[in-house]
Amino acid sequence: MPQCIVTSNHYCPPPTIRCFSFTSVLPSSIGLEAAKLGCSLMYRRRSSRLVICMAKERRVKMVAKQIQRELSDMLLTDQVLQYAILPEAALGADRYLSSLTTISDVEVSSDLQVVKVYVSVFGDERGKEVALSGLKSKAKYVRGQLGKRMKLRLTPEIRFIEDESLERGSRVIAILDKIKSEKKTVENQTVESADSIEDWDDEDDDDIIYVKSELQLLLLFSSNSVTVFV
Amino acid sequence: MAKAIPKKGSRGRIGSRKSIRKIPKGVIHIQASFNNTIVTVTDVRGRVVSWSSAGTCGFRGTRRGTPFAAQTAAANAIRAVVDQGMQRAEVMIKGPGLGRDAALRAIRRSGILLTFVRDVTPMPHNGCRPPKKRRV
Repeated sequence: MPQCIVTSNHYCPPPTIRCFSFTSVLPSSIGLEAAKLGCSLMYRRRSSRLVICMAKERRVKMVAKQIQRELSDMLLTDQVLQYAILPEAALGADRYLSSLTTISDVEVSSDLQVVKVYVSVFGDERGKEVALSGLKSKAKYVRGQLGKRMKLRLTPEIRFIEDESLERGSRVIAILDKIKSEKKTVENQTVESADSIEDWDDEDDDDIIYVKSELQLLLLFSSNSVTVFV
Repeated sequence: MAKAIPKKGSRGRIGSRKSIRKIPKGVIHIQASFNNTIVTVTDVRGRVVSWSSAGTCGFRGTRRGTPFAAQTAAANAIRAVVDQGMQRAEVMIKGPGLGRDAALRAIRRSGILLTFVRDVTPMPHNGCRPPKKRRV
């Protein structure tokens, strides 16, 4: 295992040779070991001679996915976290939930030190606040548990962020559905009352024209907006 | 395994039994795994009325696990039942995964009244040995 690959936080004895490219300086064994770890080495051409380890992109994605699995599993099974998200679980609410917490996304920094966890809560305002504050208060505990479950060199720092994208998307789709159904009823009405046009006033005509143009705009928009969530 | 127990109403009938029962209250099961979401609508006793999943909605591969696929699956499953006149439903959620949230929101948007939301993820009281840890 290579000994000299450390992050900048740690004390690192400086290598004796000034390095320009790692292939010429490092013994080939260390380079191979680094490649096996999924690490690519970066050297600075300055006198600091620090070695920074940046994981390859594929490994970052794999770690993010694995962290998402572990955290979701922890949310389901771990008693401490359950009590933090849902205080009434302590009273024995028997799994009748008032709010549902889901981890929608996990972003890992490229040096695997900081993890941003996007949490989406389904429920009312109070449930959201309670769940998110509970999670934030248990961030250190979650970090310790993650270190026990996953074999990583350095357990990353975890930050919980509220994710509103699912809710916003749901609101937009609800509005679009409502407009579509309104348009259908308006069309039905115009078809039925086609013979009573002379009873309409000018204001009604203006209203209908205004509504129709907005509907058309939004319907055009809706045909593109469905792909947003894919 | 014993064969299916003959039901009372179908003795002597060979073909399929068209069951257009009016169910005002039902149960919606959502199984949300990391790679897929399956939504099943049953009645209160547990007899399946209709089901849909992200895979049957036309998504394949990694796109089955996305929340958008979960909400189309939920919308599909409910569309068949709303015509049968279901107004209230209880939701049972199983598993981790993005489908939990997205399918719930789709159900709430469709106009069905959610009475209860329950989490029925199977939890062993330390039973079978889980599969080995994935190495990253």
